[in-house]
Amino acid sequence: MIHALSLLLCLAGFAALACATQRQQDELFDRSLPRRTTIWLRAAGAGFLLLALAALLAWRGWGLGLVMYSGYTSLAAGLVFCALLVHKRRRARPHRQGCS
Amino acid sequence: MKPGNSIRRDATPGLRQSMSSLHTWVALLLGWVLYAMFLTGTVSYFREEISQWMRPELAPQVHAPDLALAAQRVADELKTMVPDSPQWSLMLPDARSNSVYAFWRTKRGPGGRFEDGRFDPATGKAIDARDTLGGDFFYRFHFQFYYLPIVWGRLLAGLAAMFMLVAIISGIITHKKIFIDFFTFRWGKGQRSWLDAHNALSVFGLPFHLMITYTGLVTLMALYMPWGQQLAIHTPTERQQLRAELSAFLQPDKATGQAHALASIEDMVRQAQARWGSGNIATVTVTNPNDAASRVSISRGEEGRVSMSPQYLLFEGSSGKLLETHDHVGPAAETRGVLYALHLGRFSDTATRWLYFLVSLAGTAMVGTGLVLWTVKRRQKLPDPDRPYFGLRLVEKLNIASIAGLSIAMAAFLWGNRLLPVGLPDRASSEIQVFFVVWATALVHAMLRPSKAAWVEQLWTATALLALLPVLNALTTSRPLWHSLANGDWVFAGMDLTCWALAALHAVLAVRTARHTRRVRPAVAKSESRRAAADPAPGEA
Repeated sequence: MIHALSLLLCLAGFAALACATQRQQDELFDRSLPRRTTIWLRAAGAGFLLLALAALLAWRGWGLGLVMYSGYTSLAAGLVFCALLVHKRRRARPHRQGCS
Repeated sequence: MKPGNSIRRDATPGLRQSMSSLHTWVALLLGWVLYAMFLTGTVSYFREEISQWMRPELAPQVHAPDLALAAQRVADELKTMVPDSPQWSLMLPDARSNSVYAFWRTKRGPGGRFEDGRFDPATGKAIDARDTLGGDFFYRFHFQFYYLPIVWGRLLAGLAAMFMLVAIISGIITHKKIFIDFFTFRWGKGQRSWLDAHNALSVFGLPFHLMITYTGLVTLMALYMPWGQQLAIHTPTERQQLRAELSAFLQPDKATGQAHALASIEDMVRQAQARWGSGNIATVTVTNPNDAASRVSISRGEEGRVSMSPQYLLFEGSSGKLLETHDHVGPAAETRGVLYALHLGRFSDTATRWLYFLVSLAGTAMVGTGLVLWTVKRRQKLPDPDRPYFGLRLVEKLNIASIAGLSIAMAAFLWGNRLLPVGLPDRASSEIQVFFVVWATALVHAMLRPSKAAWVEQLWTATALLALLPVLNALTTSRPLWHSLANGDWVFAGMDLTCWALAALHAVLAVRTARHTRRVRPAVAKSESRRAAADPAPGEA
């Protein structure tokens, strides 16, 4: 249960942080988000990641908790990266077909 | 980052440029060794599961056995099997292992050597399964290779790990936009795409990659840097104290020559279980088993603690009286114990073990993409990319054999386990020969074929071997996938499904490689080559 919750929190955290970067905003929304929204996204991303850390530390203590946290953050960052990649490829496909 | 933004115009290379060159060459020099170490280390997180899969005759473990009874049974067996042994050790089963591994010194004195075997916890008898090294082959290869003297193998592994550490640190300095480019991947841009993939694989798992490389060096630090220990430790008593800080393994004292039966091992294990929990006992070591001077140490498992520091109870073997309790070590030894444990990850539950496996697999891919990037970058800049110079061709061929070829060889090792006759003499060595013969064949194939064709053919071969392994398992054992799924035999089901997942990964790589066409025109390449030679862009190593 805590395993799933930690992964979800890390996914939410990295998704928010990704949306806060200029390049992803351009690619996802075709424009820059307002500065205020970007700051909120960054804060939410950091908040989700800290919540995941707190959950794992409370559950398994510093030793195991930190090991698991390292694993979940790496995995979640990779999954968000792959999701963005798939999204971008889907968006690019009609354009590419149109060109060819 | 727009290429050229940070091009330096002065003659002296900047820090980033120096680090970029260091990163490129240090990583390339032992890159193939590192790739093999990374991949075999990655699968070693499931060493016990692979060992179980490679001994299909042993029934799946439904319930963890009573460790005290299992230890007593195997102890009784060893008493009759090797009565002259001055020392033996048992590694007790746990949730992931269904046999007792024992090793013993054959006799006292210089002629004595170590032998080992696996025993059934339910009967105490030696198990009747095919002769195989199981997952231990990948585990040992990971840090000492094979066909090399052990010390030389470990020194090579240490050198490679040191190179890796230098490559990671220089890579961090080279990659100046870690946070801005955190999620960046530019599709279909040749070298740029490879660099983005290499960066993503490196950055997402960076804490793990740093930890695993540094702790890898710590596991063998006494071999790599023995001088402090040589200066500080002189007397036999000091050596004994040092050993007690590092391991629960006992060296046999001088025997009295007075025969005395060993007290109940079961009772001693029960005392340890009362202290650490019924399933949390790792080893039982006995010295001078039939002598009045016998000693028994029983050590705590690693469940729930991120430390390999020894915690053990020492008993007088003849009476079963508790002599000493070692439940902590000094701060320096504990630091080593924690770092050691972080590397091996034996404390992990199933989910954490998968995390270790996946992030370590990303580390393997990091090394692989780095090796490929080296060739992509240079081939793109050639006047005629179809006619590479000797060095580039050599690196390409070695890349193919050490990346795609290793997948084939590792899968072939598992095929060998199922296909070699069970009664074959020295069967365990034959399985290993299969691995190396297949790997060498992959290298010859890579040398003989054009690079692209060699990549595609070897990736498809790996795909086929991995995809058909569950079929071979179904044909040669009584534990096919449908049976293991229905019976909750997760070791076999997990192996079969993981093989299919890895086969799918290889198939995707094969398809993408086959579809790939080089976009760089020689004219463009020529001008790029001139520009790069004059002023190479940093961060593109």
